[in-house]
Amino acid sequence: MTIETGGYTEKQLLRMIRQWVPRERVPQKVRIKDTADFFRVDYDDVVVLDGVPFFVRNNEREGRFGLEDEPKFWVKRSINLVTGGVKVLKWVFWERFSARIGDLVFECVRSPRKEARILELVRGRPDFMQGETVPDSTGNPLRILDYIRGKTLGEAILTLGADHQEFFYRYYPALLDEFIGVVEAIRFLHESGEKHGDIRRDHLIKDSATGRYRWIDFDFNYRHGASRFAYDLFGLGNILIYITGRGDVTTHRLLRDDPDVLNRLSEDDVNIVFHNRVANLKKVYPYIPDSLNRVLMHFAAGAPVYYDDTRELLEDLGEARDELFDNVK
Amino acid sequence: MKTETDSPMKDKHILIAVDETESSKGAVLYVADILGGFPGFRVTLLSIIPEPEEDFFDTAEEQAAWTRKNLEAAKAMLENYGQILNQAGFPPDKIQIRACVGETKEFADAILEAQRGMESCTVVVGRRHKTKTEEFLFGSTSTRLIREAKNCAIWVVE
Repeated sequence: MTIETGGYTEKQLLRMIRQWVPRERVPQKVRIKDTADFFRVDYDDVVVLDGVPFFVRNNEREGRFGLEDEPKFWVKRSINLVTGGVKVLKWVFWERFSARIGDLVFECVRSPRKEARILELVRGRPDFMQGETVPDSTGNPLRILDYIRGKTLGEAILTLGADHQEFFYRYYPALLDEFIGVVEAIRFLHESGEKHGDIRRDHLIKDSATGRYRWIDFDFNYRHGASRFAYDLFGLGNILIYITGRGDVTTHRLLRDDPDVLNRLSEDDVNIVFHNRVANLKKVYPYIPDSLNRVLMHFAAGAPVYYDDTRELLEDLGEARDELFDNVK
Repeated sequence: MKTETDSPMKDKHILIAVDETESSKGAVLYVADILGGFPGFRVTLLSIIPEPEEDFFDTAEEQAAWTRKNLEAAKAMLENYGQILNQAGFPPDKIQIRACVGETKEFADAILEAQRGMESCTVVVGRRHKTKTEEFLFGSTSTRLIREAKNCAIWVVE
């Protein structure tokens, strides 16, 4: 097997590594690895993609399914040895599984082709991660992604304000504006016929370079039913409830901290899927405007109607934003 | 004097949108029961195959094979439903069948597009009982049909 070296010698690569890496991190020897199998590519290896050498660092990690910081062996941080830019290399990792939400089971796939397609679609947009797709040595689509420095939405929210009321009046209006922006981004995807597929708060990173949230990780796809985008909308609703409550307001937390409020809740007031999370947040925080709470209630167990698309959600969010800004003036 | 069948009056065109579920069969049986044997009606049986997204297949050939297989199964199902209508009194020339792939649209939108194209006055669908969560996460074709339909009647058979 011939490994692509891009014409670089070991000496040249070592010189390039020294340019971007502190002296104590420079390896004694450079190993150029084939790109076909991510399990064979380790820390300190070099892979050459489309003629460009990348110095491989750690595997990326992700909390998922209740397991925090699970290493993703097919996703490796790296340094572009020509530019010094930090990139995330995402190898092909085929995965097909049944996702379960409550009693409902639906088919999901992890599709590198989908992510490659969307990367092309969103090229240049500040609200999506950026990157390009190149073939690995067997022709499979390997994605080279820009590394985004910044906090996820979930991390950012919890530190704002001394309590919910201060958070709500001082920080929430700007947050709602940012949320409307990220929903607009999803609207763009949907109107282009694509789903995000895995909408959750840790898939939104506030890029410290631009100050704007970017959607990341769009390689998941789910087998939809009558409504193509309903599951994406469900994800957006969960994020909205999370940011409005400054974290999830759970029935468990209310039982412990505020049992009177818990007693005022009915079974209609909880999240339609996650019954331990409160959706009717006005019953917990009475200063939440009616128009905003009406949006939240579309994701509640007692909702008589649901959003069909992002356009409907954005219309209601616009109204909620206007009322909110009138209130805080 | 002209008989009713010779009348220049256009037949009322009923569109029954079906899939492989029992509730769809119920919709066909309902139409057969209440309109079978009456003159002045014609029926199109429509089956829309969900668009096979390429992400769920390893190759384009596999995707095309899936589509072919499902279209053939849909045609066989529609022929069976056509026989039910025929046995109920609809003449064969008043029964049409149509199976197609639903591109990127929602099912309900694809059904309504077909309804407009065929100028049918009534759309009939079956409705399977869904939990609220299921309807929320996967949507409901009958609910969307009721919301979006214009200039036609929607019969939802439960």
